[in-house]
Amino acid sequence: MDSIGDECTPLKHEYDACFNKWYSEKFLNGDSTNECLAVFKKYQACVKKVLQDKGLTKMITDARPAIGSTFGDDQEAK
Amino acid sequence: MRLFEATHVFKHDWDTVSLANWRKYPNDKTPHVRHVEVINQELDETTGILRMERLIMVKQNVPTLIRKLFGGDVSYVLEYSEVDPKQRTLTMQSQNLTFGNLLSVGEHIVYKPDPENVKHTVFVQSAQVKAAGAMSRFASRVEDFCVNRFKDNASIGRMGLEQQAQTMLLAA
Repeated sequence: MDSIGDECTPLKHEYDACFNKWYSEKFLNGDSTNECLAVFKKYQACVKKVLQDKGLTKMITDARPAIGSTFGDDQEAK
Repeated sequence: MRLFEATHVFKHDWDTVSLANWRKYPNDKTPHVRHVEVINQELDETTGILRMERLIMVKQNVPTLIRKLFGGDVSYVLEYSEVDPKQRTLTMQSQNLTFGNLLSVGEHIVYKPDPENVKHTVFVQSAQVKAAGAMSRFASRVEDFCVNRFKDNASIGRMGLEQQAQTMLLAA
């Protein structure tokens, strides 16, 4: 599946592949080291710009309380 | 306001279903889901809980009249999830971002092992649909339309997840 922003698609694919492998092989087995963090940060930075350009950032911020999301706009990934 | 609730048991263990949940898009059953973007993630190293925030872009195939009424056919949904690998629980909540002035659709999902059979997974889904603003006049009809659309998509979504679980098991 491609990213909303074409320029982010290669990073998204890299992250998705990393996540699927990590989730099934490490995370579900109790390993709490986030191995995909570095690639996620790059992918996240790319998407963040696209969301700003599309004017979606405020809508996301406003919707967070309704779904119990603990994230903020400029939260660093961990 | 309308409430939609459904429970389903997947005949796969929770590990398989929870992974299939993350991998279920794209699939040919849900062509309306065009993009799924992870916008935030956080792994709590103390509790082991994974938090994820995703933005989903949906392009519905809707009649021209509805498209004109709503001002488009592209909508966005924000989804927040928590996965507790120790308790084997995945919870998801979502809310529409677009057309919120006309309609609010909130969804809550839980995946957990079936207490009667740990090799199976219980899926509990509930959604709340509420017409707002200009739609309030037609609330009951709009809400009924949306709940029916939601039911169709929910059953298709379950098929998509089942298909993904089967694909994963065949590849394993």
